[in-house]
Amino acid sequence: MSSIRINPNPMPDLLASLEELQQRQNTASLELATGSRINQPSDDPAGAAELAQIHAANSQADSFERSIGSINGLLSAADSTLGSVVTAMQRALSLGVEGANGTLSDSDRAAIVNELSGIQAQLVSLANTSYQGNFVFSGTAQTQPFVLDPTAPSGVRYAGNAGTNQVAIGIGYNLQVNLPGSQVFNGAGSDVFQSIHDLITALQNNSGIPAAVTAVGNASNYVTVQRVFYGNGLNRTGSQQTYLNSTKVQLAQQENAVSAADIAAVATQFTADQTAASAAMASLGRISQAPTLFDYLK
Amino acid sequence: MSSLFGMLSIATGALQAEQGALDTTANNVSNANTPGYSRLRPVLAESDPFVVGGVTYGTGVTLQKIESLRDPILQLRILEETQQQGQLNAFVSAAQQAQVQFIPSSSDIGAEILNFFSSLSQLSADPTSIPVRQGVLTAAGNLANAFHNVATNLVQQQSNLNLTVSQDVQQVNTLTIQIAKLNTQISEMQGVNQDASALVDKRDVLIGQLSRLIDVSEIKSDNGITLTTSNGTALVVGQQSFALSTQTTGSGQLDIYSQGTDITTRLTSGELTGLVQSRDQMIPGLLNRLDTLAYSLATSLNAANTQGYDLNGHLGGVANGGQDLFVAPPAQQGAALNMAVGTTDPALLAASSDGSPGSNGNVANLLAVQNQPVASGQTPTEYYSTIVSGIGNDVSNGSAELSSAQSILNQLQDQRNSISAVSLNEEAAFMMQYQTAYDAAARVVTTINDMLKTVINMGG
Repeated sequence: MSSIRINPNPMPDLLASLEELQQRQNTASLELATGSRINQPSDDPAGAAELAQIHAANSQADSFERSIGSINGLLSAADSTLGSVVTAMQRALSLGVEGANGTLSDSDRAAIVNELSGIQAQLVSLANTSYQGNFVFSGTAQTQPFVLDPTAPSGVRYAGNAGTNQVAIGIGYNLQVNLPGSQVFNGAGSDVFQSIHDLITALQNNSGIPAAVTAVGNASNYVTVQRVFYGNGLNRTGSQQTYLNSTKVQLAQQENAVSAADIAAVATQFTADQTAASAAMASLGRISQAPTLFDYLK
Repeated sequence: MSSLFGMLSIATGALQAEQGALDTTANNVSNANTPGYSRLRPVLAESDPFVVGGVTYGTGVTLQKIESLRDPILQLRILEETQQQGQLNAFVSAAQQAQVQFIPSSSDIGAEILNFFSSLSQLSADPTSIPVRQGVLTAAGNLANAFHNVATNLVQQQSNLNLTVSQDVQQVNTLTIQIAKLNTQISEMQGVNQDASALVDKRDVLIGQLSRLIDVSEIKSDNGITLTTSNGTALVVGQQSFALSTQTTGSGQLDIYSQGTDITTRLTSGELTGLVQSRDQMIPGLLNRLDTLAYSLATSLNAANTQGYDLNGHLGGVANGGQDLFVAPPAQQGAALNMAVGTTDPALLAASSDGSPGSNGNVANLLAVQNQPVASGQTPTEYYSTIVSGIGNDVSNGSAELSSAQSILNQLQDQRNSISAVSLNEEAAFMMQYQTAYDAAARVVTTINDMLKTVINMGG
């Protein structure tokens, strides 16, 4: 009789496979706990690199969203300020039309001038609006943009600068977020402060009132045109926000595709490994108690 | 014709032989769990017959020798695989330890890069705010710390590996001294024709331990065995052992020397090779790539910072009398380890492009670094993710090789055990067999004794 002699000591082999099963169960329970099959770079090196890219894109989208949040505040503040400016100008315009009526007495015109002076002060204050501690219409300067100056033709001098800021709200997508006050309020031939100043002078002198009224109307229209810039800005941030939202949804789907653990499969495998491990342990226990021929020798 | 006394000597010979055989069983059973033990087997042979008057008479049995069952070729294969496994094991555990630094988290280098640029984009929306400026500096500090911590841990790991190298070298020396001693004892015993298998087993165990540490080639010679590394460096020649030593090199690492020759890079397998590979290639590779990234980020951001104006309307950067965003790294090497923020006053961050404080024009230049290539056309984030996947690949490839080496080694051990390991069932069967034969021989002695009595009484 001759047969291949088998390894009489299967213990080390069983222990090795038991260890491997244990290792696999550890990995599986980590995957089940995190829901991700990439818990360290070696789990899927290429996938880990891809994940890093996805996280970077996601973080960038978050940054853009935060930027949009802050510039929306600035744009809205400027937009509503200019809305108030236009309303004030409209009031000045109707006061001017009223003042142009030849039947008015001097004291009537004085009353109108009085109200116009109030509007003038209100406009200066509106032009000096600040948002979160920064002047909205000062360009990139930090100084109060419009100061009263009797030596200036309109009585108001621009002390800001012509600088503008751009903020990135997408990759390669920079949005200009401000117009310098000089552009908004001091349009050539449509200067807000000049037109009000001139209207007051015309009413006081009771001459050239219709021309001054026309100038106020022009200035008001000019501001309305400037206001469109801020409305457009808000539109753009709105649509960019929608785009970023959908980008983030896509990124989340991508991340899921790259790293999500197949929970059902992992759980099934986990159970199978557990069964195999208990079987291996049972057989280890049996082997250590298994009788040998020695037990039968009397 | 044979004599009664002749028969008696045949029977007593049988008693001796069976007793010797039983002795191997006893020894095998005792050593059933001794690591490296090779089971013994008695070699019984017929004694030379003699011829009287044309009749050939047998002269019984002799216990020729007790042989130990081992397969030298298999033993060599096991040594090779043990070396391979030792190397992979050392490398994989080092790579796994290094990988811990690169496990994605909210404060790893990759996340801190993103946090930093994200803080810059907030600055873009609100360039005059001191809290936002402080936020940028804090994020820059976290980024510098992340680089510093990872580099520090890698350097620390490198010096731990160094320590293990010197411990391994000492262990190699202890083992080679013991093996040389055993060589002496074995050749002395064999010189007087004694069975040295117990010592050979011991030597095999020691060579197995040695091969886990260093690559060993075994050559059998008259006076024992010669052990060399695969490139021919002598470790044990017969009864003499050759100690290895370590010496610190210019790079601050311990190199391995044998009789004045640096053999560090000539070792091809074994734990020492895995350690040296991790210490001199894997970790320096990681550090080098981190340095490239840190250097590029620090210098590009500093350069962008120098182009703009701070809150006071001064040009930014040390070159213009201000502060650099990061302490300017003097060289690429060490840039990650020494990365630190250079700006202490948030007002000195150069966000403005026209000199007025409310301008954010230069933030765009700082932000542009995020999409500028660091090296090989990759942006900082892409470059970092390549580092991460690189170490991930090292671990996953190494682990795969390790597990296949491990299963080959298991199979070889299986084969070795199927030849050399003690089976208790087998021993029980042999024991019964030898005992029965011993009983029978004893019975023959009794019978001859009776016959002799008969012969003696004939005279009476």
